[in-house]
Amino acid sequence: MNPPRPGDAMLTDWRDAAGRFEAEIAKAVVGQGRAIRLVTIAIFARGHVMLEGDVGTGKTTLLRAVARALGGAYERIEGTVDLMPTDLIYHTFLGADGRPRVEPGPVLRQADDLSVFFFNEINRARPQVHALLLRLMAERTVTAFEREWRFPNLQVFADRNRVEREETFELPAAARDRFLMEIGMEAPRDAETRRALAFDPRFHDTDRLIAEVAPAVLDHRSIGGISNAIQRAVAAAPEIETYVVALWDALLRPAEAGIRLPGIDMGHLVQGGASPRGLAFLVRAARVRAWLEGRDWLVPEDIRAIFPDVMAHRIFLEPVHEMRRAEIVPALCRAVFDTVPAP
Amino acid sequence: MRILAILFLILPAGVATAQVRSVELRVPRSFGYFLGDLLHVRADIALEPGLTVQRASLPKPGPITYWLDLRDVAVEPVPSGLRLRLTYQSFYAALDPRRLEVPGFTIALADKSPGGTTTAQAEIPPWSFGVSPLREIQPEKRDDPADYLQPDGRIRRLDPAPAATTALTLAGFGLLAFGLLAYDRAWFGRRRGRPFATAAKRLRHLVGTEPDGYREALRLIHRSLDETDGRRLLADDLPAFLDRHPAFRRESEALSRFFEASRRTFFGREVQAAREFWPWPDVQAALRRLAAAERAA
Repeated sequence: MNPPRPGDAMLTDWRDAAGRFEAEIAKAVVGQGRAIRLVTIAIFARGHVMLEGDVGTGKTTLLRAVARALGGAYERIEGTVDLMPTDLIYHTFLGADGRPRVEPGPVLRQADDLSVFFFNEINRARPQVHALLLRLMAERTVTAFEREWRFPNLQVFADRNRVEREETFELPAAARDRFLMEIGMEAPRDAETRRALAFDPRFHDTDRLIAEVAPAVLDHRSIGGISNAIQRAVAAAPEIETYVVALWDALLRPAEAGIRLPGIDMGHLVQGGASPRGLAFLVRAARVRAWLEGRDWLVPEDIRAIFPDVMAHRIFLEPVHEMRRAEIVPALCRAVFDTVPAP
Repeated sequence: MRILAILFLILPAGVATAQVRSVELRVPRSFGYFLGDLLHVRADIALEPGLTVQRASLPKPGPITYWLDLRDVAVEPVPSGLRLRLTYQSFYAALDPRRLEVPGFTIALADKSPGGTTTAQAEIPPWSFGVSPLREIQPEKRDDPADYLQPDGRIRRLDPAPAATTALTLAGFGLLAFGLLAYDRAWFGRRRGRPFATAAKRLRHLVGTEPDGYREALRLIHRSLDETDGRRLLADDLPAFLDRHPAFRRESEALSRFFEASRRTFFGREVQAAREFWPWPDVQAALRRLAAAERAA
């Protein structure tokens, strides 16, 4: 492949560090190579990540391993139906001397050192909490105790399981649009890995498993700078720009692009979505992928590798098709890539 | 033509009918007709040259009397003048053999030359034929009225074999033609095209159209691969493509060079480097070999 320009030695070093980071996480989470690669891309694209999947597929384990390998302060909170925004910001109790105390809550406790905020079961929290999270994700700031708190290195990781629908609150579209990726996690398919997960005692004790991951493989304070350097270093040829715009058009107007899915009226399938912010995220993530693959220019494969995870949750279907979303959207994404020519 | 000709009449030529030389009426036989028989009458009218019949003056097919219908009238020119072919049908239920008279009629003739004003008339004279009864007047007494009915005449059984053979043969041809049409229109799934052969042909037109020709050539190969696979093929898909289309496995080396050159050309903006990596003669040779592999598939 094309070697990066000599001035980019720093980027090369960081690529090696990213490789070590992935290898460390793979120690704790087996059979999830794709999810690990996507999380790494999200970290270097400075994007927030939502993990989605069945119960017990390793979503929490993956995020804990990522938080440990990433270094920096780490806070987590469990989403519940009675969780209120204030519960994230402060914590009140009676002190040993009998006087009431107000202490900063999970978000503020580590102040600006906070690098990973992990929201477990986000769909169990109420919309008020989602609203606070929206600001935290979009601006990386929170106003509390009469001042503004900044979290320059913050990345929000959230997970939700898609099995239950009772006592859950669907995230508003604006909040979902702020997540760079929604990564679907499936149990590993390969028989060897499944056997190990079931019988190897190593995988039964999550705490010890996470402890095996080397801490702070990456310097979380520098990632912001590296992320910007990557975005500047990876070039996009005019053909790639045309390609991405054609993909966008085909996704929004599949009927005009000549896409047919069995049993669906393509003229009335997609209501909207795939926002310009989504497209910007797509290119951002694709550049990180190109960098991880050792290139300083984009190829269509970079776009394709991250497209479903970055774009699928931004597509809004007509309500009549919404219930079959899990089946329609991946098929639509596949069809878009089967239809749009590159170059 | 087997006609028992009976010369009925040669019309005497008058002053007004100077142009009509004679009228001859012929019927196959003048007796022995039964209820429902057809009578074919031929009238030969000898005319002066230049005269022709006025069609409006011909009798109209239809009932003439209660026992006689005119079924058909046809006119054909003959060297001596005109020939009328008249087909009558008799419905006379005769109780004894007797002669019946068919009324005559007149037809008008006119000069067919432009500006011609001569007209004439030809008399088709009345004629007669003999009818016979079909059954006895007083048949033997029967108890069952159905016994008065007579069985139909025996007819020769036809052999269906030749007709069946012909029908089957034609049906076979029809099916074959339908199959060819369906193949041509790809009604039952995709017709396997030859995208690489088409691309190889188009490549000849690109020779000498530098520098865009090289990009166009790569694009041609891209589109041929897409068409072969039925989806858009990217560089990373090459191993899967070779699994799906083993005929191209021999060309895996050329295909990977192609994808590398394409990446450099389109996305790396290094057209010159790509051209050195995979020069033009190699492109042509590879496309020829791909077209050959496609034929063999």
